[in-house]
Amino acid sequence: MSNVFFKTPLSECIFRFKVYYLYRYRGGVNTLSNFKNFIKNALFFNEPQKTEHFILTESQDASPSEEQNAGDTANTKPDAKKRSRRLPRKTQAQPPLTQNENAPLTISKRLSENLDYMKTKYSLPVNGDIVLREFDIIVKHKVISAFIMFHDGMVERKIINQTILQPLMLLSNLDIKSTEEDIVSYISKHILPQNQLIITQEYTEVINMVNFGGCVIFLDGINTAFVADVKGWEHRNVQRPNTELVIRGPQEGFTEILRVNTALIRKILRDENLIAENISIGRRSHTPCAMLYIKDITNNALVQEVRKRLESIRIDYITDSGELEQLIEDNVFLPAPQILATERPDRVAAMLAEGKVAVIMSGSPFALVMPVTFFALIHSPEDSYVRFTYANLLRFIRILAILFSLLLPGLYVAITNFHHELIPTDLLLAIAASREKVPFPSIVEILIMEISFELIREAGIRIPGPIGPTLGIIGALILGQAAVAANIVSPILIVIVAVTGIGSFAIPNFSMGFAFRILRFVYIGLGGMVGFLGIAVGLFIHGLVLTGAKSFGVPFLAPFGPKTSGGLTDEITRAPIWKQEKRPDFLNPKDKKEQPTISKGWMNKK
Amino acid sequence: MENKMVFGKWEAITLLMNMISTKIVLNFQRKVAEDAGTAGWILTIYISVLALLGFMVIEKLYAEFEGKDLLDIGEYIGGTVGRVMIGSVIFIFLVYIVTVVLREFSENLKIVTLTVSPISFVSLFFLAGMIVGAYLGLEALVRLHAIAIPVLTVTFLFISFAISQYFNISRIMPIFGTGLRNIFVGGFTKVSIFAELLILFLIVPYIRTHKNFKTVGYTSLFIAGFSLTMSSLIFLLVFPYPAAIEGFLPMYQLSRLINYGRFFQRVESVFVFTWGIVALLYLSAGFYFIVFTFKKTFNLTYYQPLIIPFAILIYTMSFLPPNLDSTVILETKYFRNTAWLVTFVMPIVILLIAKTIKKRKKEVKHSNG
Repeated sequence: MSNVFFKTPLSECIFRFKVYYLYRYRGGVNTLSNFKNFIKNALFFNEPQKTEHFILTESQDASPSEEQNAGDTANTKPDAKKRSRRLPRKTQAQPPLTQNENAPLTISKRLSENLDYMKTKYSLPVNGDIVLREFDIIVKHKVISAFIMFHDGMVERKIINQTILQPLMLLSNLDIKSTEEDIVSYISKHILPQNQLIITQEYTEVINMVNFGGCVIFLDGINTAFVADVKGWEHRNVQRPNTELVIRGPQEGFTEILRVNTALIRKILRDENLIAENISIGRRSHTPCAMLYIKDITNNALVQEVRKRLESIRIDYITDSGELEQLIEDNVFLPAPQILATERPDRVAAMLAEGKVAVIMSGSPFALVMPVTFFALIHSPEDSYVRFTYANLLRFIRILAILFSLLLPGLYVAITNFHHELIPTDLLLAIAASREKVPFPSIVEILIMEISFELIREAGIRIPGPIGPTLGIIGALILGQAAVAANIVSPILIVIVAVTGIGSFAIPNFSMGFAFRILRFVYIGLGGMVGFLGIAVGLFIHGLVLTGAKSFGVPFLAPFGPKTSGGLTDEITRAPIWKQEKRPDFLNPKDKKEQPTISKGWMNKK
Repeated sequence: MENKMVFGKWEAITLLMNMISTKIVLNFQRKVAEDAGTAGWILTIYISVLALLGFMVIEKLYAEFEGKDLLDIGEYIGGTVGRVMIGSVIFIFLVYIVTVVLREFSENLKIVTLTVSPISFVSLFFLAGMIVGAYLGLEALVRLHAIAIPVLTVTFLFISFAISQYFNISRIMPIFGTGLRNIFVGGFTKVSIFAELLILFLIVPYIRTHKNFKTVGYTSLFIAGFSLTMSSLIFLLVFPYPAAIEGFLPMYQLSRLINYGRFFQRVESVFVFTWGIVALLYLSAGFYFIVFTFKKTFNLTYYQPLIIPFAILIYTMSFLPPNLDSTVILETKYFRNTAWLVTFVMPIVILLIAKTIKKRKKEVKHSNG
């Protein structure tokens, strides 16, 4: 066997080995073809998949009727159903629950059947937090059996007692002067004093509502259920935002409650054209989300694209807007975020006023705003609240911070290894003297320190509160004194790492900071390989990737690459507030003007 | 998708500006000093005017072919054969210059800063930029040009101002250098300095209207001509003629002179940065147009499969010249004396033929109608 093996040509040997290996370990021919496909895919050209790329073009205004419809559907449900609910509307894209396929989807007239169905559905009595209360009511001298069902802890018990049980059990036999014959109509109009009551014949809707703090009322003899919105779980109050603090400006942050968040934005904008469309995401969780935009400013195509992406999501559960962001962003591999996550209502309001779209998700204190450009990510909400001269200083400092965070360690490695002549003699001698006893090359030295710093940063977030100070001591000792004393690193490197760290903390967007943290290591590698040339190549490729990227059809480096008119007053630098006359052109808003040429009316001579 | 792509005038202007003016960081100033002595800057003005006149003729002829690039016009004249012929000429033209410039940049960088690294290693970094640029496509490339070129211009302006203390007007005397004949007769073929204007005739579909075409062409030629003139003038004002024709990398030599106090001296390393970016922009755009031309010439569906093979081809070919000197000769002696035939004469001839054919077709249609 071995003779045969050695006599055959090399390619034959490789082929035989492949076949043997695949049959032995991978289970035969199918895997062989998989392996071939893998090699083929890895080495050869693959025809691009025909995917639809969205490009935000000039405002394609929908016909008035269409727009009216869009607004109507967003604002209210058809009158015929008489629904005034604010809970998530059932979107067309949502498929029916697979587990319901064999179950009755419409409500039965028999109470016992409904009771059995609900018990099975909610695994009663195993499920401990579901409350099922059976009782009788008297309507028009008829005794009707009934039951209510709700999740304990998610509802306001007092409201259930006062506005559901009390009227049904005690007040239903009062002599109400009404000629109403239909029981459903009679109960909804006269007995249940609820401001948000949904009348439905579908189990799916009942279950969705009960899962989200609703109380369902079933009555015997009618194939209809009443669901009252009695949400009342414990939640955080409106507090200061944790991640985007400002000195000047509002101090309110979003909470985990959807309607509180939409109200916080509506309170700032006070515009009837602000639309908050309901969309539910998650095949099982049905997490309510609100898509916000200003009807007569935002480009219709953008609104449609956001709606399309949200409605097309197929996922069982979604818990935070961070997950939602990953599901709707354009490019997964781009280091920079393509959607802005903020916990400040004022920031969302300002961006909506520019013509952007925001998405708020129940359970997440971070709203998503899209599209976003690179320059919006380096802005802080405070920039608009302080005078423009101060804002410009802050902007320049932030740009400097970005450059430090991204390039400083790489530049240090490049200069110490390749471009000594760039350093003035005295400084060069100081660096050389401090590095004299260090046994590592500068690239190893800086990697040790950067990795230690990243460790401390990560540990700082994960560490339990009471032992937090310990980390500070360890960090200071490791990063500072001990490392230098042990001649592992030079003192100047401590300064470099510290300045880099401070630079990364000064980046206002958390995700953007992450992007620079990752890329910093790439620049260290490139600087260590070929000095400034490596860093130039890195910047070139980085720049290319960013210029080629898009966020919801808007070029990521707009308005500079590509250059667009207008909107230049608040990108890198900030012009005085009266000069910010136009909305960013790259958003193609319906209303391009933000304010007239002379917005300070008092300056006009009479 | 690709046909839908359009870009603005600013993007196109910066692309052409960089393509034409890249030679500022290579050997342009020394070459004009060799050709016209202390009147190198006058030669530059002369060839800039010639280039503008040449473009004026082309632009007038182009008016009837709005939105068509040279390959489309070649197809209009001679069908597939016409397209393949013109495409092949452009392809060879671009491969030649990109290969030579790749080698020049790599050699220069090796001399300046990476003295112990092998040339094949230095070239690899440029090659990486070229490959990524071609993969991400023209849209990303022109946008990056739109952002990077203003920054690079500021850097070069900074260098120019920083060395103003060394300017000496007597160094450009005698004013007509090696003589009027050398400048105006011998200098005619030097209009090939503007050879990269050919790129404009390939991006016509992306800049839509003839008006844009005119604006982009005139503006980029004017700015590039101005930059080239200023750079040669500054070089000649700083270095006396004998020293000017001796050294290599004029811009690098100039940046080495910057000296302000104890701290701001020897800042030429920063120049490596700008140099690297300029080179990468030039090479990646040039390389993109190589694969694009090949794809369009042979009517292929995708250009992406061509990237790696062509990159290897150009990388390998760039090592054919034995050293930097012979590479520079390949550019200055051969390319910069003959490229005008491809950039100016070929489009004029093609457009004249196309115009005649169009006229004849119109007449036939008219007589039939």
